[in-house]
Amino acid sequence: MGTRKSTAAIIAKTAKWAVLLFFLIFTFLPLLWLFITSFKTNYELLTAPLSLPAKWQIQNYINAFQLSDLHLLFVHSVLVSALSTALNILVASMAAYVLSRYHFGFNNVILSILLAGILIPIIALMVPYFKLISRSGLYDSLLALILTYAAINIPISVFLVHGFMSAIPKELEEAAVIDGCSFLQRYSRIIFPLSKLGVVTAGTFVFLYSWNEFIYALLLTSSVRARTLQLGIRFFKSQFVSDYTSMYAALVITIIPSIVVYVLLHEKIIQGLTSGALKG
Amino acid sequence: MKLHKNWRGILLFLLPVLILYCAFFVYPLGFVFSVSLTEWNGVTAPEFRGVRNFVDLAGNETFRLAVRNNFIWALSLGFLQIALAALVAMILARRPRGWRLLRTIYFLPNVISQVAIAMLWLAIFNAEHGILNQLLIGLGLENWTHNWLGEIETALPAIIGQQVLYIGYFMIILLAGTMSIPESFYEAAEIDGAGILQQEIHITLPMLRGILITSMTLAMAYGMRHFEATFLMTGGGPANSTQVMGLMLYKMTGYLDYGHANAVGATLILLGGVVIATIRWLLSRGEAASEAMQ
Amino acid sequence: MRKLFIFGVSLFLILSVLLLVNSCAKEEEEIVLKWPCIWVAKDSKAATVGALVDQFNADNAGKIRVEIEPQPDYDGYRDKINAMMAAGQVPDLFIFNPDPTTFTYYQGDMLMDFTDELKKGGWDSWFVEGTLDASTVDGRTKTIPYELGLTPIWYNQALLEKAGVDAFPETFDEFWVMCDKLKAAGIVPTSQMTGGSNAWTSMLWYSHILASIGGPDVWSKPLSDPMYVQAAEILLRMYSEGNTTRDAVGGDAGVSGGHFLAGRTAIFINGPWYIGRVRNDAPDVYPHTGVAPAPKVAGGTYGGQIGFLLSNLAAANTDDPARRAAVVKFMKWMTTPENVKTISLDAGSLFCVKLEFSASDQVDPLQKKFMEASANAAFVVSHLQGNYPVSMINEFGQALGKMALGKATPEEFVQMLDAAR
Repeated sequence: MGTRKSTAAIIAKTAKWAVLLFFLIFTFLPLLWLFITSFKTNYELLTAPLSLPAKWQIQNYINAFQLSDLHLLFVHSVLVSALSTALNILVASMAAYVLSRYHFGFNNVILSILLAGILIPIIALMVPYFKLISRSGLYDSLLALILTYAAINIPISVFLVHGFMSAIPKELEEAAVIDGCSFLQRYSRIIFPLSKLGVVTAGTFVFLYSWNEFIYALLLTSSVRARTLQLGIRFFKSQFVSDYTSMYAALVITIIPSIVVYVLLHEKIIQGLTSGALKG
Repeated sequence: MKLHKNWRGILLFLLPVLILYCAFFVYPLGFVFSVSLTEWNGVTAPEFRGVRNFVDLAGNETFRLAVRNNFIWALSLGFLQIALAALVAMILARRPRGWRLLRTIYFLPNVISQVAIAMLWLAIFNAEHGILNQLLIGLGLENWTHNWLGEIETALPAIIGQQVLYIGYFMIILLAGTMSIPESFYEAAEIDGAGILQQEIHITLPMLRGILITSMTLAMAYGMRHFEATFLMTGGGPANSTQVMGLMLYKMTGYLDYGHANAVGATLILLGGVVIATIRWLLSRGEAASEAMQ
Repeated sequence: MRKLFIFGVSLFLILSVLLLVNSCAKEEEEIVLKWPCIWVAKDSKAATVGALVDQFNADNAGKIRVEIEPQPDYDGYRDKINAMMAAGQVPDLFIFNPDPTTFTYYQGDMLMDFTDELKKGGWDSWFVEGTLDASTVDGRTKTIPYELGLTPIWYNQALLEKAGVDAFPETFDEFWVMCDKLKAAGIVPTSQMTGGSNAWTSMLWYSHILASIGGPDVWSKPLSDPMYVQAAEILLRMYSEGNTTRDAVGGDAGVSGGHFLAGRTAIFINGPWYIGRVRNDAPDVYPHTGVAPAPKVAGGTYGGQIGFLLSNLAAANTDDPARRAAVVKFMKWMTTPENVKTISLDAGSLFCVKLEFSASDQVDPLQKKFMEASANAAFVVSHLQGNYPVSMINEFGQALGKMALGKATPEEFVQMLDAAR
């Protein structure tokens, strides 16, 4: 004990803070740099990249705003993400409930088939998805994206929710049956609430997926009425070509709403992810 | 509990999932596998070719390179990224000062779109004005500057490194898991004289086993399927050094070579399945072994 | 359970409403033609094309309406059209980039066949010689030639003078001497790129060098001809000795063009559609920009230019005669010489429609240089992209990067191109 312990403890503490600091810088610094750079001129960008701008160029932001209906795209992204998540969670939890609580022979087969979907590279399915969406007349609609995103994430949601639902003890349900709870009531009043951690984890995953997705947004939509935020960002590259600072201003504009919403809601999100764990 | 009397409920609850799954997975998969056996340009009728597309791919140097890269991705994400995420989770679980704020910041990149992050890193890696090179020059390390995304030695490590270090999502999940381990376990260990490192190895890791394996599986699956960051940042270059199967598939679709494109897709699915199943089996054997020892 | 039910029903209702709103079929007599179009936003043709479409819609109000669907992502556009065609869903109107791979679409019935309409009323006489032939496969003309690409070598006269170079060199020996002088004056000689989907700037250079070696019949020679390796050696030299920027490998059009627009590189290649951009985004470089034919390779031919069909207009085939008539009417409107002239004057682009400029027309000085270059060209051939399948063009950038980084010899470079066909 004595000196040996405190040296080891100091090393451990330094190492610990070094790790935390590293990730802090990695996460935060690029964003900060982007923000500052977006206020520079292209000349300054090339000659003095690490310094503060001589004059804060609002022009870059004006250029960026003029280029697209960013506010509309933001609303579209929110709608698509929220609705696809809701649909996905509803459908997946229903299936997970049945597959985890009831054994009727096909359980494992169905479960394995559903879970195999996690491995499927969605990019491989471009042509059939396009055929599916266009044949059902949903091309160039937000609904196309909502359905597609909800469906694509079924395997992972079922995977996560099923995992949590399996862990709920059977006795709870048996007690409920004795109390006269119906099939639906057992699902909605007991099992679903108890698997909240799984549901929130899956829900977060699906929401973020839908928010970030851009290949199918590009493929399945065409006009502004169904366009999402990610496509807006992608366009900046084509359009601004070499006007880097305006491009960065556009990037900042698209990032800021996400950050604002996140800052406001993060407590709820993280609580949702962690509360289930702490209760149990 | 054989509640077959609930068959109506069971059917009702399973139906939406099965319908969506058939439409978006079963049908497209059938499409992929059947087209992979043909030669098709999307306009005229497909011509049956048997497994010759697969043979072509096996002989294609770029494809072999892409497969190798996908394995590197899967292993990097599955092992490196998860390990880092676990490390940070374990540190934050001890609630050091400002842990809530740090937790929030670490998750931040996951909220921002992949496209934006890719563009951001394109800017950072830019050989002329990117902040990475500028920092190195500022530190007097001009010899260390590179055209990060344009040199064969640095391109793949650059993209993978950047992705591996974004640990936010898995870190939060592992943190939740870690914080749910009862304090009493650690207190008991402390009384027995175990140091922090020993506590983590003997208490935290075993208890997190399930979540860890799940996270690793997800991360590896993503690695095999990887597409977006490479597409946005290097397009597979330079000299196909960052090529991945997903991107090859996409490009082949662009040449109207649907037969080979879908063969790549089929290979990706099969390989991915094999890799993940193997790793899970190896890990579960480890679990069985350690349980047997206890 | 009640709550769940209500939630489920509301969700269902929301989805149904969305579905209804989306499929609100406008059952009017008006024929609507949707045009996913890349000539929008900052593209140099956006303003005039938009104005022409508005005028057409006004003239045909209630009967025909053309709706432009802005597609500002140039690279994504091609993939999108491919996916649509593969799924059997051709857009009403779209922009078609002719090359050996896209000509596959002429097979089958997906595209509207204009062969007969072109012969009526002299519509075909509006077009520049050879452009219709280049758009015809097996005797059927299924796309209308529109924008012409002419890509001479660009140079920044001011930078050349600063380095003590009087005129753009006519031989490659003089070219390398010029590069040394530029480097001595602290200027990077050429813009290059291996990125994007086709390594555009470098691919055009390669085409120019090949044309210089092979003359007017250059594309009749197979890949095994030694000229491909010879041209690769020259291209390799452009990537070495500091003759291009550090970020050329992996760089895309933004990188390559950006350097020229910022006055960092002295030599560039692009087409007339870029004139508007130079004028607006690089007012310092614009007045000094000149164009010239590529330097001559020893024993080669001087004065050739690279010219090709850049964009054609295409339409989905239809059995509805009213719809067909509407499409033809729009196509004729867009190819009417007076209308095309407005686009040309504003954007600087060159077109496949014969245009006559009078003294009163404010022709952009840089565009004038292009027209002179075209008129004075010893011969015009198309580029590599116009003569080889897309699979090889995609691989060009990768192979070039490998060679530029010293991991492949020029012979291996050509072998890689061959393997990718």
